Amino acid sequence: MTWNRETVHEELLKVFRQHKQTEIEVSETSHIVADLGIDSLGVMEVLADLEDTFKLTIPDEALREINTIGDVATAVLTRLEGDGRLQG
Amino acid sequence: MSAPPPRTVAQAIEDAAASGSSTGYRFLEESPDVAPFHSYVDVERMSARFGGAMQAMGLRKGDRIALILPDNADFVFAFLGAVRAGIIPVPIYPPTGLGKLSGYLENTLHIVAKSGARVLLTSSEIKKILGTIQAQAPGLEKVVAVEGVRTASDKLRPEKIDLDDVCFLQFTSGSTARPKGVTLTHRNLAANVHAIMPVGLSIQDGVDHGVSWLPLYHDMGLIGFVIAPIYHRNQITFLPPLLFLKRPARWLESISKYKGSISFGPNFAYALAVKRIKESEMEGLDLSSWRIAGCGAEPIRADNLRAFAEKFSRIGFDERAFVCCYGMAESTLAVSFSKIWTGVRADVVDGETLWAKGHAEPAAEGSPRASGIVECGAAFEEHEIKTFAPDDTESARPLPEREVGELRIRGPSVMQGYWNDPEVTKRSFAGGFLRTGDLGYIAEGKVYICGRSKEVVIVNGRNYYPQDIEWEASQVEGVRKGNVIAFGTMKGPSDRERVVIAFETGEKDEATKKRLEADVRKAVQQTVGLTVDDVVPLAPGVLPKTSSGKLQRARTRELYESGELLGRTSAREVDKLDLVKEIAKSQIGYFRHRLFGKSDE
Repeated sequence: MTWNRETVHEELLKVFRQHKQTEIEVSETSHIVADLGIDSLGVMEVLADLEDTFKLTIPDEALREINTIGDVATAVLTRLEGDGRLQG
Repeated sequence: MSAPPPRTVAQAIEDAAASGSSTGYRFLEESPDVAPFHSYVDVERMSARFGGAMQAMGLRKGDRIALILPDNADFVFAFLGAVRAGIIPVPIYPPTGLGKLSGYLENTLHIVAKSGARVLLTSSEIKKILGTIQAQAPGLEKVVAVEGVRTASDKLRPEKIDLDDVCFLQFTSGSTARPKGVTLTHRNLAANVHAIMPVGLSIQDGVDHGVSWLPLYHDMGLIGFVIAPIYHRNQITFLPPLLFLKRPARWLESISKYKGSISFGPNFAYALAVKRIKESEMEGLDLSSWRIAGCGAEPIRADNLRAFAEKFSRIGFDERAFVCCYGMAESTLAVSFSKIWTGVRADVVDGETLWAKGHAEPAAEGSPRASGIVECGAAFEEHEIKTFAPDDTESARPLPEREVGELRIRGPSVMQGYWNDPEVTKRSFAGGFLRTGDLGYIAEGKVYICGRSKEVVIVNGRNYYPQDIEWEASQVEGVRKGNVIAFGTMKGPSDRERVVIAFETGEKDEATKKRLEADVRKAVQQTVGLTVDDVVPLAPGVLPKTSSGKLQRARTRELYESGELLGRTSAREVDKLDLVKEIAKSQIGYFRHRLFGKSDE
């Protein structure tokens, strides 16, 4: 399955909306822990969901560069692009 | 069972290799196709390479080396290599990337400085993150990337290691600013390994197979699954901790695939498996080889274990496999285990009498005041567990059975003290016994834990100090400095401890208070990295204080749990009566809500 920036973005917002622990509205700049209240265990669950959805692996090292939803988008887009599964 | 002559960890590595045993360590990775295996012969060779490389860095016997190694194989070889060279390893957890990096760096810096490590060994990727740490830790001479060490060709110069030499430092519980280094000798390790393996778990040498996802910078993973198996040549299969958190099914898959007989986890791991593992992921798994399912490191909730047994009995899990464990780093690892193959057993007592009088009166199961307290077994041979009144500073008068008091332990597994911290060490002992800080009672020789007198909040197996949380919340503009209290509560709809922050503010406007609430939540979540469940803004003077003006954390929790906290306008008017009430109660009363998972209600 191929994706484009818009569908990736929508999918990410959808998944984070399901997992957030606070009332805050989810956006690209939302900080996962600070704004959405998702702790380390919750983040790992989100990652598992995303890996299943996008059929890719986000390695542990990549986690160290993830703070916001935008960072997750970058991690996902980079990998989709590397696999030739990103359009546009 | 009489103990064999104790051996050093270094000796145990050589013995395991010399036995020609085909067992060893398997390191699973994220990709299911990669599972490198190292026999103990190989472990001996690899650890010699790492130890030799450390000697070539100029490290000598007794020097400390800090290890921040996210890769399990790197960590194991570096740790064992240092030990064989007589160099004292100091394991430190790797950064996860969640929460602010500054907090991580500060914590790491404190541990490096306190341990006096001369070298820090890490991955080249983390080395970049650590940045200026070297400039800030005066004794730290270099930060070395592990990649070069993997292929080093330096020979290990033999070093004489004695049983009373320090084997490693386990930095543990203590707020960020004050880390404490539990100092363990080879004699401590040999004693505890003997207590755990043949005595506590009836391990068969070379036969039992362990499966572990536990982090190796923590005692349960490091001693239980790296060190102890060397002594008994058991096969161990390691999974990366983050892989377990991401895909809990991989834990059970590994037990099934490699016919694991022993695996441990904190309470949360069993709860996570129940919550996250899907029916489809259980297809084809067989857990019938799993003979010991240890549970420890955080309060055990019988409900969670029962749910695990219910869900996984279908694929061969036997609930008799549960072993309830009591332990702490200060006692090397284990203090007591419930008897194997008996499952979770609870003492049913009258909850009211327990809390009001500190006495565990047996009660009829199902009676309205009955509370079940999980049994954690008896002290190991050559070890003692006794209860004392908290003010019995000489441990002169052990309390009778079924009287609740502070649990104190004595024996060859107990540390000599905290590294370079004579003052804290002195406070931790009373008349030759280590003060555990835990409250409990003994009945028919078995230990029952009722609560902690330390006010740590444990979430997902990790300890958080309220002081750290309060400090971060105090930084928020509008919060009255020094008038913040953070605590954990078992009350409420959650299968884990809920984190609550109460703070005082001069703001009266509701909208402003709402914004402050959000700011406090964000500040703490970002810096400390845990989910805050509730934030309570209060008017000045509402938080309860002692007569000397000290904030009362336990009292605040009580008021919160009973719903009285929000109704208070000012503490000053009610506190006189409270004070009288409090004196009338034993210290234990503070803990009544924490103990028996209030989720039962």
